[in-house]
Amino acid sequence: MEIWNQLLQGFATAGTPVNLLWAFVGCALGTAVGVLPGIGPATAVAMLLPITAKVDATASMIFFAGIYYGAMYGGSTTSILLNTPGETASMVTAMEGNKMAKSGRAGAALATSAIGSFFAGTIATIVVTLFAPIVAEFAVKLGPPEYFCLMLLAFTTVSAVLGQSTVRGLTALFVGLAAGLIGMDQITGQARYAGQVPELLDGVEIVLVAVGLFAVAEALHAVLFEGKIVESENKMSRVHMDRSDWRRSVPAWIRGTLIGTPFGCIPAGGTEIPTFLSYATEKKLAKGENLKEFGTKGAIEGVAGPEAANNATVTAALIPLLTLGIPVSNTTAILLGAFQNYGIQPGPQLFSSSSALVWALIASLYIGNVMLLVLNLPLVGFWVKLLKVPKPQLYAGILIFATVGAYGMRQSAFDLFLLYAIGVLGLVMRRFSFPTAPVVVGMILGPLAEAQLRNAMSIGEGSPMIFLQRPMSATLLVIVVVVLLAPRIIKQFSRRSIEAIG
Amino acid sequence: MEAARRLRDQTLVGAGVIVLALGLAYGALDIPSDAGYAGVGPNFLPWVVAISLLVCGAFLVYEAQSGGFRDMEDGDDEKPYWPGFVWMSTGMLVNAALITTIGFVFSCALCFVLASRGLRNSQGPQTGGVRAWGTDIAVGLLIAAPVYWMFTKFLAISLPGLTQSGWL
Repeated sequence: MEIWNQLLQGFATAGTPVNLLWAFVGCALGTAVGVLPGIGPATAVAMLLPITAKVDATASMIFFAGIYYGAMYGGSTTSILLNTPGETASMVTAMEGNKMAKSGRAGAALATSAIGSFFAGTIATIVVTLFAPIVAEFAVKLGPPEYFCLMLLAFTTVSAVLGQSTVRGLTALFVGLAAGLIGMDQITGQARYAGQVPELLDGVEIVLVAVGLFAVAEALHAVLFEGKIVESENKMSRVHMDRSDWRRSVPAWIRGTLIGTPFGCIPAGGTEIPTFLSYATEKKLAKGENLKEFGTKGAIEGVAGPEAANNATVTAALIPLLTLGIPVSNTTAILLGAFQNYGIQPGPQLFSSSSALVWALIASLYIGNVMLLVLNLPLVGFWVKLLKVPKPQLYAGILIFATVGAYGMRQSAFDLFLLYAIGVLGLVMRRFSFPTAPVVVGMILGPLAEAQLRNAMSIGEGSPMIFLQRPMSATLLVIVVVVLLAPRIIKQFSRRSIEAIG
Repeated sequence: MEAARRLRDQTLVGAGVIVLALGLAYGALDIPSDAGYAGVGPNFLPWVVAISLLVCGAFLVYEAQSGGFRDMEDGDDEKPYWPGFVWMSTGMLVNAALITTIGFVFSCALCFVLASRGLRNSQGPQTGGVRAWGTDIAVGLLIAAPVYWMFTKFLAISLPGLTQSGWL
């Protein structure tokens, strides 16, 4: 009952006209950045981080959550209509969605993905509402050794498990950790790697790294390698699903949600595995004519399932973020950065210390989902026009916004040079298939993990055995090992099953 | 030939990681190790990172030398278009150098024009002519100015202006 009251309180806060406006602008902006190639939710939130200096915490978190959410809806529109592979999250949607669009069923694909996202997003938000407080209550009992092990878990999953190559993932992680080292040590105040540059003493701004790695690197990559790529767009058709579409979509949404939600809850991140699993499941369950549509005319289940799984994962990922303060993706890492700008450290105490903020945020997720359904079903034609923005103007325009984000944070032209340097680094990383998420997660989580490690060691009076003596942290270490191995096995399995039926 | 170059580039990336690791290690020498009760001081993580990166770098070089990085995405064979890169880089660096003198609006519009020129040229034989330049200048100003007003007036984020009026 307590949850119910707090949720109602949250709705009261999120439902004020000003906050509704922030949510709406966030959702609209999120959809736009999701649709536009070359810019994603992580970049958009990062560029807008300077507003944390002026806008109050609740409003800006509602705004950022809208962007985070909206981009998921917008991303599927692009992957269905454009014949270029988008981000990993919507890659699976693109496989069948694109085929459907080619055979004149773009409208049905867009409809099933929007409604499926709404369905899964809402269910997962309910899960967040019910379980986040429980996890938080439990998490209060965790001490530094346990936290350190949890962060170790996040590092392992984001660098070694997701992505193609463990060594490149780890390299990226350590580059991120190195960036996090620059500046003052949290515990002793010792300056590290700042050299004679006073700007570096405060550390490297997360905005710079995120915007540089994503936006600038993307623009540089576009000018170097993508000039000759000709994009073709599929024809839109009426956004409508007939009876058989509904009959085939509903079970797929439910299955997708069931697969996606647990993956979001564990700090193992990534939408790649759940969406692929959902796709494989749908393909396996399809029979007769429907099965024949997979890979040929495009099967609607193959869009509905993965889309639902994607949104469920992304929403449920807020549980580890809010209750443990552990981000496992680019965007959640930057959301954590946004909290930090307000001096708020997400974690178990968040539910007691900033309870109004958290519940308003959760309430805004329900509201945002409804807004996005409206924005993406009747108004989808409007967003599709964004795909017509010419490339030169698009990327050059992104650079202007990148400047706002980088300069606006601390009014220093030095940061703009740094931004360019980080952009070049991002270009090299992209060219050689290094993942970027570990850099951002490592940079944001690194200093926190270091503090927990040193606190834990102090508790153990300098002995690392402390991590093994406490049952919970020892268990977590075992989980780290399991997590390191399990997704590999699942991935292998799902890949094999895709190959087997494909 | 192409493959040989790719391997050379990959080796260079691995070597770059090693250089970074050595740099971090060199920097770590200066960080005091005063550990207090913890047994690990401010220099602990720097050493962990430096050594780990050294190992990663060595492994990358090894991979590059023995057939190339593993599990790479394919289809990255396009030839880079360096002139476009130079246009865009100039735009960004000029922006960084001039933003405090000529103000956000003009500096960003200039960056926009230069970057857009690079992207246009990358799409094919010299596109546009005078009209394209004109369009870019206009669009650049039309994006930069409202962005400037929106952020400075509504969100009170301070961005540098040419005048004190707050409009330019």
